[in-house]
Amino acid sequence: MWFKSKSALGDFEQLVLLGVLRLGDEAYGAAIRQEIHARSGRDVSINAVYTTLDRLEAKGLLRSWTGAPTAQRGGRRRKFYALRAAGVTAMRQAYQAFRSMADGLEGRLDTK
Amino acid sequence: MLAWRLPDEWRDFVLGDLEEEFRLRAATSPALARRWFWRQTIRCLLAPPQPPASRLQPQGRDPFMRTVLSDCRHAFRVFRRAPSFAIAVVAVLALGIGANTAIFSIVNAVLLRPLPFEEPDQLVRLFHIPPQATFPGMPTFSLSPANFLDWKRDAMSFDGLAAYNFRQLTLTGSGNAEALRVAVVGPGFFSIVRTQPALGRTFLPEEYTATARVLVISDGFWRSHLGAARDAVGRTLTFDRQSYTIVGVMPRQFSLAAWGATAVPLWAPLAWTDKEAAVRENHNYQAIARLKAGATLEQAKSELQVISKRLEQAYPAENAGWGGTAIPLQELIVGDVRTSLLMLLAAVALVLLIACANVGNLILARSMNRRKEIAIRAALGAGRRRVFQHLLVESMVLALVGGITGLVLARGAIGAGASLLADQVPRAEEASIDARVLLFVVAASIVTGILAGLVPALRAGRTDLNDTLKEGGRSDAAGAGNLVRRALIVAEVALSLMLLMGAGVMLRSLHALRHVDAGFNPRNVLRMDLNLPDATYPEPARRRAFYDSLMDRLRVLPGVQAAGWVDTLPVTGGGSVQPMVIEGRAELNPREQPTVSVRIASAGYLRTMEIPMLRGRDFAGSDVDALLVSASAAKLLWGDTDPVGRRATLPLVSRTRAIEVIGVVGDVKESLAEKPPPTVYYYMRDLPFGDAVIAIRTAGDPAGLAHSAVAAVHAIDAQLPVQEIHSMEEVIEGTLVAERFRALLLEVFAAAALTLASVGIYSVLSYLVRGRRREIGIRTALGARTSDVLRLVLLEGLKPALLGIVLGAAGALLAAGLLEKLVFGVKASDPLTLAVVAGSLLLVAVAASLLPAWRAAKLDPLTVLRDS
Repeated sequence: MWFKSKSALGDFEQLVLLGVLRLGDEAYGAAIRQEIHARSGRDVSINAVYTTLDRLEAKGLLRSWTGAPTAQRGGRRRKFYALRAAGVTAMRQAYQAFRSMADGLEGRLDTK
Repeated sequence: MLAWRLPDEWRDFVLGDLEEEFRLRAATSPALARRWFWRQTIRCLLAPPQPPASRLQPQGRDPFMRTVLSDCRHAFRVFRRAPSFAIAVVAVLALGIGANTAIFSIVNAVLLRPLPFEEPDQLVRLFHIPPQATFPGMPTFSLSPANFLDWKRDAMSFDGLAAYNFRQLTLTGSGNAEALRVAVVGPGFFSIVRTQPALGRTFLPEEYTATARVLVISDGFWRSHLGAARDAVGRTLTFDRQSYTIVGVMPRQFSLAAWGATAVPLWAPLAWTDKEAAVRENHNYQAIARLKAGATLEQAKSELQVISKRLEQAYPAENAGWGGTAIPLQELIVGDVRTSLLMLLAAVALVLLIACANVGNLILARSMNRRKEIAIRAALGAGRRRVFQHLLVESMVLALVGGITGLVLARGAIGAGASLLADQVPRAEEASIDARVLLFVVAASIVTGILAGLVPALRAGRTDLNDTLKEGGRSDAAGAGNLVRRALIVAEVALSLMLLMGAGVMLRSLHALRHVDAGFNPRNVLRMDLNLPDATYPEPARRRAFYDSLMDRLRVLPGVQAAGWVDTLPVTGGGSVQPMVIEGRAELNPREQPTVSVRIASAGYLRTMEIPMLRGRDFAGSDVDALLVSASAAKLLWGDTDPVGRRATLPLVSRTRAIEVIGVVGDVKESLAEKPPPTVYYYMRDLPFGDAVIAIRTAGDPAGLAHSAVAAVHAIDAQLPVQEIHSMEEVIEGTLVAERFRALLLEVFAAAALTLASVGIYSVLSYLVRGRRREIGIRTALGARTSDVLRLVLLEGLKPALLGIVLGAAGALLAAGLLEKLVFGVKASDPLTLAVVAGSLLLVAVAASLLPAWRAAKLDPLTVLRDS
């Protein structure tokens, strides 16, 4: 798929990026999954979240670090994510594109 | 499992996330949390997170599973391009695997599936072993009450013993009277089989008395007669004008057609009076027992022998020579059919082998056509192993598709086969597709795939690249490939011959059984069962009056030539065997006193069955007590002296009543395949019981007389049920169902084998001819005549066929030993059958070779040589 623009974000990638942005310092797999589930209603699998996070990291939009093991995870560690500058830019572009495409259509798109 | 599937770098995080969110959810609803957890786990398992492709490390070799999957996909694409090839192969394999599956599912139900009782291995039936000198050919015998009670008291290996036997009750009160078979069971019967009633209870200890009128009913009876009413327990039914209370309903799975004690609609408590319990020499009861946990069958057997020895010494007059044994219930139920079923399984496996050889041939021929494709793959770097795997996967895919199709076919066949067999093969009605059958299908498919694909795959891996890629390569005309093909023909023909031989021998055996002289003439005889209830016919005089009046009515019916009755008809099994003592001689102990089959018969019975009168006269209405003895009984008891006018006693009937022998009659078989036993026919004016089988000889079709015969019965007693109305020929055919089924299946298998083999010969020869077009063209151009070419090609086909016939004949003779037990009147290695079978196989081989040979002979040398 080399002909596809690298900056173009997929629908699910956008959701994941927004989740990371929204969660700030607390952005790790389970929290992102729950955030997406709670807000968009999409009950996605953990593996889908990780696959996307990993892809976004590989594209240079995210960075990650490993946290300390905690008891409520059975002594396992968390992997935290945060947006890189490129991630913020990509998200902004996507948001702009979305907003301008939707401009004037609010009446037809809002469902109350 | 998940941990194992996840990439190392993620394992911790994913598992941690799962656990964390699970705990969070479990705090509100544990059940929902668990559901969520499993759903997540399964989703992760099905598609574990994959690192982006860009980061994949280049690998030295594709992982095995991935290449197999891609081979599978490729195989499907290949078959879509050559659907006729794929359909032919799948059809052949589906038939082969389907037939195997159907037979296996019957084997599974009959031989492998445990009986539907708790710990069925502990259930045994108990038998006497009768003295062999006086009961020749009888390995086991029923029990007498007194001996059974002694066993029950003394034996330590058992966790309960119960006696039972059968009687009939006539259901009256609503609509037509109906005679029903009742198992009369002793205390402990239900707890030994460990089956609880579905409704109500079984018998209480205090109900094992002669006066208790209580019944436990079967699920079938509950549905057919009580409309499956939930409140059936406590209702009363009228049998023989007495009212019985239903106390329990047994569950459906308790009714096992193959074990008489459960295959009845009704159970009643068995109660022996003191007099009955003391009977030691009359053996009329069956017994079931459960081995104690830890006790072995051998221990139980030797314990029964020890107790029997003690009883022999204590009661020599009754027990001399009588031993005891225990036989597992399972063994008794399926013992007889094991050989038969295993033989059929072997036969159907042969069909599958032939199918494999055929499919192997097809694949081989096709892979030769695909040599170029394979060579290109090899040229592009596919190793021999890779090509081998690729072709083997193709044949596996074909075999698995064939297996699935076969499973569908088998499902249909099982339905038909099971109902056909239900009467003759115990538990066959339970045949169904269960996990074990599915496992069998998968295993059979895999083995088939390997067998059919191995040789072609090995061959293909060896293809010489250079030769193949050159245009017009003709390396397939000779060499190892053709050797393999010929070997496959040899195998097909050899296996077909073995199957044909089996089918031929079975057919001859069936023919022999059908035409065996049983000592009577079964043509144009109608038979029916009557049972006079004790309640309405309490005295012997009433019974005698009934039967005499019935005979008078039957004999004057138009179309009736003779009529009579007997307590047990020949060939149907059962009947009394008793010691017989010549008047004036001392009664010996059971070890030495000869026994005879005793049949209570009426005047006219022998004439009806056309059993020849050799000396003396038939019974007459004026007789009180009289005996007719069969030729072998006369020889056994009187040797060469004429028994007519002599007298003898039947001690089990009466030790004081000496009965005069008034004639000698022909021997009659009790079983078509066995020697006729010495038999005496006993005319008693005072009938001790009311059971009889009526036999009527008719001028025409006996079925036409059934209606008026039943009317004659009902003219005397409108309430009397008439059962089992059949012609005697039907009865005999009925005893041959198993033989017929065996012969039929073997015929079908043999026909399939023959078809497959002829198709195999044809296709291989066609292939060879195609490969040798040039050679044949040159020969023709050089002056070879049509007949020369014909002979050349015919021989090409016949040589392997002949070798196959020789090898098959050797195999058939080797296998004959296994069949010997199943055939009658013909040897399993019968040379005539072998010659006929070999001859017809040779004819088929010639026929299959003719068309390719003809095509070769008609080749136009000019065209051929120009083409190449």
